[in-house]
Amino acid sequence: MSILEYNGGAVIAMKGKDCVAIASDLRYGIRLHTHGTNFPKVFEMGPRLYLGLPGLLTDTQTVHERLKFRLNLFELRENRPVSPKTFGAMVSNFLYERRFGPYFVEPVVAGLDEDGKPYLNVMDLIGCETETDDFVVSGVCNEQMYGMCESLWEPDLEPADLFETIAQALINGFDRNAGTGWGAIVHVIEKDKVTTRTVKTRMD
Amino acid sequence: MMSVQTMQPGARETAAGGPRQRYFYPYADNGGTVVAIAGDDFVVVASDTRLSSGYSIYTRDQKKTFQLSERTILGSTGCWCDVLTMTKVLRARMQMYRHEHNKAMSTGAVAQLLSTMLYHKRFFPYYVSNVLAGLDENGKGIVYHYDPVGHHDPGKCYTGGSGGALIQPLLDNQINYKNQENVTPEPLTVKKTVSIIKDVFTSACERDIYTGDAVAIQVITKDGITEELFPLRRD
Amino acid sequence: MRFTTSTMDLMPLQASQPFDPSKYRYTGPNVQPRQLPNTRSQAPITTGTSVIGLQFDGGVMIAADKLGSYGSLARYQNIGRLMRVNDHVILGCTGDYADFQFLRDIIDQKMIDEECLDDGIVTRAPALHCWLTRVLYNRRSRFDPLWTTFVVGGLDDDGKPFLGFVDKLGTAYTAPQIVSGMGGHLATPLLREKMDGQPPLSEAAARELLIRCMTVCYYRDCRAFSKFQIATLKAGSIKIEDDLEVKGDWEVAHFSKEHA
Repeated sequence: MSILEYNGGAVIAMKGKDCVAIASDLRYGIRLHTHGTNFPKVFEMGPRLYLGLPGLLTDTQTVHERLKFRLNLFELRENRPVSPKTFGAMVSNFLYERRFGPYFVEPVVAGLDEDGKPYLNVMDLIGCETETDDFVVSGVCNEQMYGMCESLWEPDLEPADLFETIAQALINGFDRNAGTGWGAIVHVIEKDKVTTRTVKTRMD
Repeated sequence: MMSVQTMQPGARETAAGGPRQRYFYPYADNGGTVVAIAGDDFVVVASDTRLSSGYSIYTRDQKKTFQLSERTILGSTGCWCDVLTMTKVLRARMQMYRHEHNKAMSTGAVAQLLSTMLYHKRFFPYYVSNVLAGLDENGKGIVYHYDPVGHHDPGKCYTGGSGGALIQPLLDNQINYKNQENVTPEPLTVKKTVSIIKDVFTSACERDIYTGDAVAIQVITKDGITEELFPLRRD
Repeated sequence: MRFTTSTMDLMPLQASQPFDPSKYRYTGPNVQPRQLPNTRSQAPITTGTSVIGLQFDGGVMIAADKLGSYGSLARYQNIGRLMRVNDHVILGCTGDYADFQFLRDIIDQKMIDEECLDDGIVTRAPALHCWLTRVLYNRRSRFDPLWTTFVVGGLDDDGKPFLGFVDKLGTAYTAPQIVSGMGGHLATPLLREKMDGQPPLSEAAARELLIRCMTVCYYRDCRAFSKFQIATLKAGSIKIEDDLEVKGDWEVAHFSKEHA
């Protein structure tokens, strides 16, 4: 078993029409043992910027804290909010600093940029970035979620439809993986608001 | 994603940077995906037609479904040499049953026989993912899914093989209405089932390099078996 | 001296290799994989490289070069890896040459026995292909494999061209074009480009294509050789051309600094 699968956990993000959604499961476990059922792996990093950190959950917390620290310094120095693309580069650089002793997280950056355009980015654990125009998945049940996304996703979804699509893709995907599940949290990011919903799922 | 192997099975590093010693590994992964969906009075079985090894495509024209009788079809993927052997033995055993009892095996009997055959090789298994589909004694569709050592489970729809993980959650959602609220289940039709199968294979071959080229779809009804070939991406 | 405490070798700190998380061991002592009990036939010794086979209009053609390699040494430079089984079947072999000779003797004896029966029944390509599948699969199941890959050519019972593949595991398939060994990566694209979705090749076009493939293999496969054979099978005739040679074009060498 890979250390990336030690705690389980899944993150997914999708682009819609002038909106972007990011979601994660809520399980916190150690191998096959579930300890907690309220552990979101997605964090708010700005008004329209979210970061998903599935992987080894101790690293999820550490990376989140350290990136928040760097982000605060950036915003103090620059006196402006960070753009998602810049933040993506920040995460990537941060991970590559630990090239030979990495943090075991595979981050997803999702947000709207200054012009309100959706931005999506997924990285491996040493910071190799992939920007996509459709959807990204990360975490232990990525195969299941890829299968769901390839069938359910379509371009230019409105926020309500995007929520339904991402929730179905995540939930049906993680229901077929023992290391993930136990509830889900979905953020739909629009220009003037962010809607956060927790979704009831099967708890087994 | 993390299961990507940097070393092929059959090659082992003797020391850091030292010479490589080859040892014999009796299994291969030749890829391929099968899907089977059962309706009230029919069952649909489909497999892709790509046979591969590593990054090479052996042939774009190899179905992984095996018609065992007028009402039973087996879909089988994994280690292709085991698939060939297992289906040969299975057919021989079915022929013996026919000669002994003077009747064709029912789908349920084939299902049990296959499980027994797989468990017989418990400590040197056939490295194979099986999905058995057919009509039962009442003409109702049924699908059985197997692990390589003979555990099996009857159900309504199952997938197996390299694209199984991508397809199964979608079938849960679309066929078994998992995680859908306030919907009244409609009985499946052959037309809708075939269309779903085309969709799931199109999706699977976007992300699974071992699935592609074409999907062979077979429909079993009381009137017999029909077959259709639907092209997929070939890259 | 090696430290045996597990903390010392938790991480391979080799900067030369990309980090592979699946190799990262985070608990417990290193569990060595169990050594397989059998040490027979664990490696091929004298080997032959690619065999290239294709179907054309009315028959099949198989080509193989004449080199027997001993590791990287070009040890035997005039050995045939193609075989005429009977009037209806031809065969090509990649891999261990001793295993090929072993099977060749058995097949030859089978054909003699068959001839002696004189019942008018002859082994055709699909039958021999199936038989090879079983032999190789049984050997692999005994962990004593015949380290070979065979390409079987002939006509099936309906008189249509048949071309089959069997490897040391017993993996088998049939296809209009089959390449074993290194040529699988080098020659398959050339064959598929000319054959996929097109009407069957003429015999002349097939021969030309085969020679092109042998040339490319000679250029790029370090275990390939210039001298090669082509076996052609049509209804009622088998021809094995024994003295073919790749005419390499080294004109471009003049453009290279090293050869100027």
